Amino acid sequence: MTTPAAVASITDFSLSLVRNGTRSSVLNRVSFDIRAGEILGLVGESGSGKSVLALSLLGLLPPTSHPQAVGSVTVSGVDMLRADQAELRRVRRDVLGAIFQDPMTSLNPTMRIGRQIGEVTHDDAESVRLLETVGVRDAALRLRVYPHELSGGLRQRVMAAIAVAGRPGLIVADEPTTALDVTVQAQLLDLLRELRADFGCSVLLITHDLGVADQIADRLAVLHHGELVELGPAADVVRHPQHDYTTSLLAARLTLGMERDGRFAGGEKISGATDVGPAVRITGLRRTFAVRRGRAFGSTRRRGRGNDAQEIAAVDGVDLTIAPGEALAIVGESGSGKTTLLRIVAGLEQPTSGSVTLAGSGGPQMVFQDAGSSLTPWLSVGETLGERLLRQDLSKSEIGQRVIAALAAVDLPPEVARARPGELSGGQRQRVALARATMIPPAVLLCDEPTSALDASLAKNMLALIRDLRARLGMTVLFVTHDLAVARLMGDRIAVMRAGRVVEVGPAEQVVSSPREPYTKALLAAVPEIVEDAAS
Amino acid sequence: MTTLLPKSRIRPIAVGGSKLARPVAWGLIGLLILVTLVAVFAKVLAPDNPIQPVGEPNLPPLAAGHLLGTDQIGRDLLSRTLIGVQASWLSALAVVAGGLLVGGIVGLIAGATGGWVDTVLMRVTDLFLALPGALVAIAIVAALGSGLTNTLIGVSIVWWPYYARILRGEVKALAARPHVEAARLSGVSRTRLLTRHLLPGVVPTAIVTASLDIGNVVLLLAALSFLGLGQQAPAPELGADTARTLSQLLSQWWVPGVPGLAVLVLSLIANLGGDAVRNLLPVRR
Amino acid sequence: MLRFLIRRLAGAVVILLILSFLVFVLEHIAPGDPARAYVGANASNATVAAQRQLLGLNDPFLAQFWRFLLGLVTGDLGRSLRTRQAVTADIATYLPATVQLVVAAFLIAVVLAALFAVSGALRWPGAFIGRGVLLLLATAPPFLLALLGLIVFFGRLGWLPARGTGDFEDPGPTGMQVVDTLLHGQGDAFLDALHHLVLPALVLSIAPAVAIGRVFRSSLQGVLHVDYVRTARSKGLTEGRVLARHVVRNALGPALSMAGLQLGFMFAGVVVVEQVFSWPGIGNYLAASIPVDDFPAIAGVTLVLGAIYVVSNAVVDLLQAAADPRVTVQ
Repeated sequence: MTTPAAVASITDFSLSLVRNGTRSSVLNRVSFDIRAGEILGLVGESGSGKSVLALSLLGLLPPTSHPQAVGSVTVSGVDMLRADQAELRRVRRDVLGAIFQDPMTSLNPTMRIGRQIGEVTHDDAESVRLLETVGVRDAALRLRVYPHELSGGLRQRVMAAIAVAGRPGLIVADEPTTALDVTVQAQLLDLLRELRADFGCSVLLITHDLGVADQIADRLAVLHHGELVELGPAADVVRHPQHDYTTSLLAARLTLGMERDGRFAGGEKISGATDVGPAVRITGLRRTFAVRRGRAFGSTRRRGRGNDAQEIAAVDGVDLTIAPGEALAIVGESGSGKTTLLRIVAGLEQPTSGSVTLAGSGGPQMVFQDAGSSLTPWLSVGETLGERLLRQDLSKSEIGQRVIAALAAVDLPPEVARARPGELSGGQRQRVALARATMIPPAVLLCDEPTSALDASLAKNMLALIRDLRARLGMTVLFVTHDLAVARLMGDRIAVMRAGRVVEVGPAEQVVSSPREPYTKALLAAVPEIVEDAAS
Repeated sequence: MTTLLPKSRIRPIAVGGSKLARPVAWGLIGLLILVTLVAVFAKVLAPDNPIQPVGEPNLPPLAAGHLLGTDQIGRDLLSRTLIGVQASWLSALAVVAGGLLVGGIVGLIAGATGGWVDTVLMRVTDLFLALPGALVAIAIVAALGSGLTNTLIGVSIVWWPYYARILRGEVKALAARPHVEAARLSGVSRTRLLTRHLLPGVVPTAIVTASLDIGNVVLLLAALSFLGLGQQAPAPELGADTARTLSQLLSQWWVPGVPGLAVLVLSLIANLGGDAVRNLLPVRR
Repeated sequence: MLRFLIRRLAGAVVILLILSFLVFVLEHIAPGDPARAYVGANASNATVAAQRQLLGLNDPFLAQFWRFLLGLVTGDLGRSLRTRQAVTADIATYLPATVQLVVAAFLIAVVLAALFAVSGALRWPGAFIGRGVLLLLATAPPFLLALLGLIVFFGRLGWLPARGTGDFEDPGPTGMQVVDTLLHGQGDAFLDALHHLVLPALVLSIAPAVAIGRVFRSSLQGVLHVDYVRTARSKGLTEGRVLARHVVRNALGPALSMAGLQLGFMFAGVVVVEQVFSWPGIGNYLAASIPVDDFPAIAGVTLVLGAIYVVSNAVVDLLQAAADPRVTVQ
């Protein structure tokens, strides 16, 4: 029992793939074992090669990318890089199970759940038992259902059922929780742990989040630019990282323990604002959508039981008052109505009832979730930014100078003005979007999860930049996020939304340290935290 | 929102077909331009009068003085083919351009306005799309009386809805993208929003759709002409010239064959050129 | 599903109404006097005027349209100026041969399209030559293909006949040679009918085969790389199973749409092909009616083929709804 046998070993594995016509090295001399019965966390940022490693283990590297491999990847004695297709299939069928990132696209949309599980079990009773094992209620009924009738969390449970159906020795889970809400993520991680206990299989959990890995992994492997930089027991790696990269990953994590900037931590701005009146006043706001045949099981948004046209309230009676210069963070899971609320404040959608009053002239400005699609692709950055100055009757050179100044304010060099959005990185694009929103300081700045698509280290810089601009320009900020740690960092106050309603509002620190509502408590409990932060 | 009518049937475009090297693509587009120039200057290029007999009847191709031979009454086939190419090619371009113009305006208005305007315009468009276009074109031309103008009218009537549908969908898809909302929030005027943030995104799709379609129109016009719905004799027309001389197929293949082959060449150039345009222009998807 | 079915069928009825109206309007514009057609070219102007009154040609526009619709429902499409027969009777005579030709061509097209698409998506070695030939043939006008086929298979090789549906008398009851001879167990006649059918059907099938095949191939290529196909492979299913259960069904939608659309183009193509092969079908009937401005016949053919097209597209939509559970929800 001291050194359990390995179910899979990766030895001196180097891999290069052809992408967009050029061959590049993706993995470089990676070696590690996955031991029987262990949960191994594989951590890395985007582009580290972690997903390619998962596909290599499954023998599913796409032939169109012409993989060239050195070294070996063996699963239960079979070389997954060189064995013939029949042998690979046998291993996938008998030894491996897989859970992929996106539950929305990983199940066949035109095949009933029962048949998709049945392709492995060949037995309905067994399929029902599996669905019950992975925590799906009314399992027998769900066999008849198509994937689009299930919520994301349920679909990922179905994926887990398929993964364990063949009694695998190893489950490869590639970012299985990234697309899920935190509370659902916590449930799924629990499930993986239980499956390991019930079926005695090993799990390779691939994630970008050290916190997630730390929660359930026995050992951690850290991948950076295709190289394995650190491997060891989870507790050691997280608390005593040996490699600089691991340390920087830990430091970049957005945690509830992050130091908040004291300068505008609350109090004085709000109290000083009473005589000026609020910057934003939201009263009795409702927004409903008619939805035909919303049969999604497990969806909490459903109201009414009619067979046909149902009404769903995305925003269901919200009252909020935000003082000038205040920052309010709105936290909620997907479907809570937080984005709809923000879009109504921006004037992009009309409320069904209720009202939004904004103080001051000039509308609010907004930074969207995905900067890649919020910038017009065929206009250069300079043209996009210059458009905001058209009303001001400036000469060409004056506009040019203002654009360069605006870029400098978000730490971008002047050359960026000539680039098209497609030539910029995700972080740069989001800075351009921020520059557009703030180059004429708006009274109110709206942010819709501006960092959710960025790697942690980039996200942290971006958040610091927004806080900095807010302090300099004295803007009122409404910041929507799904992440309580980000909310605590960005908001003077936090409003927690659930099913279209605000369930709790309070000073940020107070909401996080002593939440009133059970839902807020559940959210907090689900946040993957590294309990004893070694970085400090 | 109950729709009484079936969802419209759009020719689905095959995406990501062959990848052409850039020089090859430009070469093919050069060919498109060349054909257009030949069509425009056909009268200058034609060696003989296409209507009058100028030599022995039924001379085979490469005969002295007649590169493509002569027809059943001794008219020069090269001259007749050149003038026929002029009629076919310019007609096809006119139908596509007209369809693009009408369909484009309808599609843009419907897509950019939305609401009841969109609903009404698209209902009408869907009606046209639900009918068998080629057949309706035949009926229209037959009712108006045959002749080139009437043929163009008939084909154009059934051809524009296709563009309206595609461009409206494209405008809708673009308008729903965050960049349009972002531009609106940043205070851009309505005109500028339309001309700078929407139109440039639609133009490539419009050009690609149209250029891939020229070949289809060439073939449809040739088929109508073959049925006697094009220009009247003795004016040269490729489809009709083939139809009138079918009986000579096994004895003098070139008399019906040469005009038919000319249609093939036009359609081939149009299709390859269309592919080249698609390869060079960035179209979403 | 039932609601969807009813809505879709109601939509088809509306389209047929519009088609009827369109044809009715065209009939009004068209040259040729239906009254004169009844009484003959030599009749006096007074007789023609009386016949006009009798036929109700002086009634208000909408009243005439109403009677036109009633006529359609009872199978009265007017009288052909050329054959001097009821158009309905003419069409009943010629339709079976056309249906036989179009169905055969459509089946060939579907098989060719599937080969085109699957060989492309799965990169069968060498198959690109076949695809290239098909692509080239599809850019040719159908009448040129027909001529080429005749020169090669009739003129040079003498393998296939040049005209008609067959040398044996059609024993009935459907009017489709291939079906009828089979029903009566006449082996020789059946083979002869097939022999006559091959070339016209093949010529007619090329363009739709390539159009459907290209769309099917690109949707296959799209689906081959989606996540749920990776899931299916990770289950250890054989490649054949992955294709049959997970890829093809999900890639079928655009190809089905295209197939329905191509059916409409085939009705135009069939006119040309029937003329070249002297095929005793409705297309040949139409082609003969065009030069003599026999508009009642043209209108009748347009209505009948249009109706077949609209109905078959409704069927395609229903098939698509059956293939994809998400369609009904929208």
